Amino acid sequence: MNMPYTIDLPDLLHVEGLSVSYGGETVVQNASFALKKGQALALIGESGSGKSTIAKAVLGLLPETARTAGRISFKDRNLLELSDRVFRPLRGRSIGFVPQDPQNALNPVRTIGAHAHESARLLDLSGRTAERTAIFETLELVGLSEPERIYRSYPHELSGGMLQRVLIGLAVLPRPEVIVADEPTSALDVTIQKRILDLLSRLRSSLDLSLLLITHDLALAAERADSVVVLKGGEVQETGPSSRVFLKPSSDYTRKLQNDVPSLNPFRFRTAERRANAGEGTGDPFIRVQSVSRIFDTGDRQVRAVDDVSFSLQSGRTHALVGESGSGKTTLARLLLGLDTPDSGAITVNGQRVHGRSTSALRDLRRDLQLVYQNPFTSLDPTWKVKSIVREPLDRYAIGSRQERDERVHEAISAVGLSEDLLRRRPAALSGGQRQRVAIARALTLRPKMLVLDEPTSALDVTVQAGIVEALFALQERFGLTYLFVSHDLSLVRQVADTVSVLRHGRLIEQGPVDQIFENPAEPYTRLLLESIPAANAAQSAAAQPGYARLSLVKTA
Amino acid sequence: MNHRSNYIGYAIARLAQSIVVIALAYTFTFLIINVLPGDPITNMLLDPENGFSPADIEPIIAYYGLDKPVLEQLWIALSRFVVGDLGISLRSNLPVSGLVLSALPSTLVLALSALAVALVVAFLLAFASQNLPPRYGQGLLRLLPAASLSVPAFIIGIFLIQIFAFQFGLFRITSPNSFAATAFAAIALGIPVSAQIAEVLIANLDHEARQEYFSVARSRGLSRFELFAHHQFRPSSLPVVTMIALAIGELLGGSLITESIFGRTGIGSLVQGAVSSQDYPVIQAVVSLAAAVFVIVNLIADLVYPLLDPRLRTRNRGREPLADEPLVDTEAVAK
Repeated sequence: MNMPYTIDLPDLLHVEGLSVSYGGETVVQNASFALKKGQALALIGESGSGKSTIAKAVLGLLPETARTAGRISFKDRNLLELSDRVFRPLRGRSIGFVPQDPQNALNPVRTIGAHAHESARLLDLSGRTAERTAIFETLELVGLSEPERIYRSYPHELSGGMLQRVLIGLAVLPRPEVIVADEPTSALDVTIQKRILDLLSRLRSSLDLSLLLITHDLALAAERADSVVVLKGGEVQETGPSSRVFLKPSSDYTRKLQNDVPSLNPFRFRTAERRANAGEGTGDPFIRVQSVSRIFDTGDRQVRAVDDVSFSLQSGRTHALVGESGSGKTTLARLLLGLDTPDSGAITVNGQRVHGRSTSALRDLRRDLQLVYQNPFTSLDPTWKVKSIVREPLDRYAIGSRQERDERVHEAISAVGLSEDLLRRRPAALSGGQRQRVAIARALTLRPKMLVLDEPTSALDVTVQAGIVEALFALQERFGLTYLFVSHDLSLVRQVADTVSVLRHGRLIEQGPVDQIFENPAEPYTRLLLESIPAANAAQSAAAQPGYARLSLVKTA
Repeated sequence: MNHRSNYIGYAIARLAQSIVVIALAYTFTFLIINVLPGDPITNMLLDPENGFSPADIEPIIAYYGLDKPVLEQLWIALSRFVVGDLGISLRSNLPVSGLVLSALPSTLVLALSALAVALVVAFLLAFASQNLPPRYGQGLLRLLPAASLSVPAFIIGIFLIQIFAFQFGLFRITSPNSFAATAFAAIALGIPVSAQIAEVLIANLDHEARQEYFSVARSRGLSRFELFAHHQFRPSSLPVVTMIALAIGELLGGSLITESIFGRTGIGSLVQGAVSSQDYPVIQAVVSLAAAVFVIVNLIADLVYPLLDPRLRTRNRGREPLADEPLVDTEAVAK
C-alpha cells in the first residue's frame, strides 16, 4: 500500500514565486513548491501564515480584490491567468476541495443527494439513475454504510464526522487528480479525526490522488504527508521531505514550532519531582466531587450529561477533564462553579458545599473560583478598555478603594506578562494571546484560590498556546493556584495536568496521575484516544528506517 | 422522531393560538371603545344632532344590551362575532358584515396587486445586486431600496397621478377602478414594501455568498447561475416568507391612504365614513378584521416555514444525528 518515495515522479502542481496581496497588504510572498503526482504535500503554518490563501489560489477561489503574481502550473497552464469561465471546468473535475468546517460546508436547505448530483454530473454519465449509482458507490467508499439514507438526509441530520465523509465523497466523486484539504479535521473530535485522515490516506492510494493538505499541526503533517512546506507570515520558512524537516528542521521557526507542539514535548513544563508526586495529596482535598449526576430532559428522552462522576483535587494541583464532545466535561465544570445544580451527588470546595446555598453565599464562594473561557475573541466586551475589563470583578465585589483596585489591576496585568500600556486599549487592538492573558488577569484580580480553565488555548495557535501555558505555570507557582483544566486535547493535558479524568458520554472512564494514564491506560477507550493523537513518535521511528522516506500510515480497518 | 405528527401537533397549537389572539383583539377593541366616558353608542344616539327618536333608540339599546353591564355587552357582542354577525351599522341600518364584504374585494385587489409589484421589484433588484457587473451601476442600484424606503407611499401616489394621469393621460382619476388606475395605485403602494423586502434579500444574498458552503459549492465547478439559484438565493429567500406576512399588514394599512388618494372605494372609505359619523359597530368590525387578517397571514407564514426549511422539521435539532460510526473501533480495542 505504501509506495516508496521516488524522486522521479512528475510534478502535477507547481507553484513558483506566488505572491498574493489585498490592497497594500501582502499575505503570501514569493512562495514556491511542487506537488508530485500521487504524493501528499502539507502546508504548515499558524493563523496568518498564508496557507489558506495559497489553497484558495490553487482552487481559483481568491476574492476579486486579490492581486497575484508568480505562477501556479497545472497541466501546462498557469492557473492564475485563467478566467473564471476557463477555470470552472477544472474545479471538481481536476481539483477537488475538502473544507475545514464540515458543519458549514453544505447548504442547509438542500439534501446530501442534491449536493452529490452536482458532483456526479461532472462524470458525464447518462441520466440521473447512473449518477445515483455512482453516488451510492462513493458514499460507501467513504465509509457511510447506509448510502440511500444519507442521500435523502439534510446536512443537519448528520454528525460532523459523517458530514466530513460526505464532503470527501463529493470531492473524490468526479475523480480529480488533486485534492486540496484545508484543515479537514480541525473541527472534529480526535477519534473521528483519525478515521477521516485514515480515509483520506486510503483514498489517495486507491484512487491515485495527490493531496495538498493545509494544517497547523506539525505532528499531523509529519504523519500524513510526504513533504512539507512551513509558512510564517506569508513566507516559506523551509521545504523538504517531511521526515527531514521533522527530524532536522533547518529554520528557527520550525524548531520553535517543534518545541511548542505539546505532543512532541510532554514533559516541557512539569518538573520530574512534580510528576513523581502527581497522584499524592496531603490533607483534605480542595475540591471534592462525589457521585455527581446531571440529567437533561430533551422532551423525547433523558440525556445523562454527567453520570455518577467523582474526583478530588488537592490544593495547588492541576486536574484535567478530558473527553470528546458530549462527554460532559463542560457540564461538570459548570456544576463545580455553581452555574448549574446536580440532580444527585455533592460538590465541596474547601470543605464547603457548592449547592443548596443562598445566592449571596454562592457569590462569596465564587470569589475563590474563577473561570477562564474558551474563546478570548468573544469573552471580552469589545466596547470596554482592558483596564475596565480587568477591574470589573473588583468593582462588582466592591473591594478596597479606587486606588487599591487600580493597584490590583496593575498587579494582575503584569502577573500575566502583559505591559501596562495595554490597559488603555480595547480588545480589538490585541492579539489572541494577549486577549487570553487579559481574560486570565480578569480572573486573577479577586485573588481566587482556583481557576477553572475551559479549553483556554483551543482558539489559539500552538506557539501562542505555549506562552499561555507557561504563564499559567508561573502563576500557579507564585500564587499556589489550583486548576481545573477542561480540554479535548490530550497532548496538552499531558503537558499541564497532574491528574486526569477521562470522560465519555457523561461517564468516568478512567482517572489517575497523568503519566500513569498516558503510559498504561487500562481502558480501551483511553487507548483509542491516545492512539488517535497524530503519532509523532511513530513518525520519527518510521522515518529513521532506511528505504522509506514516506512516513508509515496508521493501518486502517 | 415522527416528523409528520410533530408538524400536525405544531399546526394545531398555532391554529388554537391564532383563534385566541383574534378573540382577544376583538375584546380589546371593544373595551377601548367602552373605556371612553359614557357608553359611546348611547351617547351618539342621544345626541340631538343625529335626530334619533326614542322609538328608534329602544330596539337598538335592546339589540346591543346597552342597559346591561359592559362585560355582559361584551359577551353578547363576542357570541355574535363568533358566528359572523358584526352588528348593525348605526348610520345606514344595514348589517355591518354586508358593508365589509362589499368593500373588501376592491381593497384586496389593491393590496394583492401591490404585493405582486413589491415581490417582482424586490426580486429583480436582488438579482441585479448580485449579478450586475459593478461597472453597470451595481453600487447605485444597491442604494435604491434605502432611498425609496424614505419616501412615503402617498407621495409616490401623488407623483404617479401627477405624471401618468395628468401629464401622459395613461389613466383617468375619474374612473379609479380601471385596470390602469389600479395598476398605478398598486405601484404606489407596493414600492415602499418592495424596498423593505429587497433590503433584507440583498443583505441575505451577501451573507450567503460569504458562507463556506457557497465557496465549497463553487469548488464543485457549478455555473454562476446554479450557484446563485441553489446556494445563494434559495437559503436567502426563507426570511422573505416572514417579510411577506408582515408586509400584508402594512399593505392593508397603506391601502386606506392610497385608496383615498386614488379615489377608490373600499375598506378605507368605509372606515373613514364610520369614524366621521361615529358608527362604532363598523369601526369595531374593521379593526377586528384587520387584526384577523394579520393573525391569519402570520399563521400561514409559520405553517409554511417548516416546509421550506428542513432544519425546522426535526424537533431535536443537532441533538440526535443519525448514529455515527461506533466510536470505539472494535479492532483497535482487540489489539
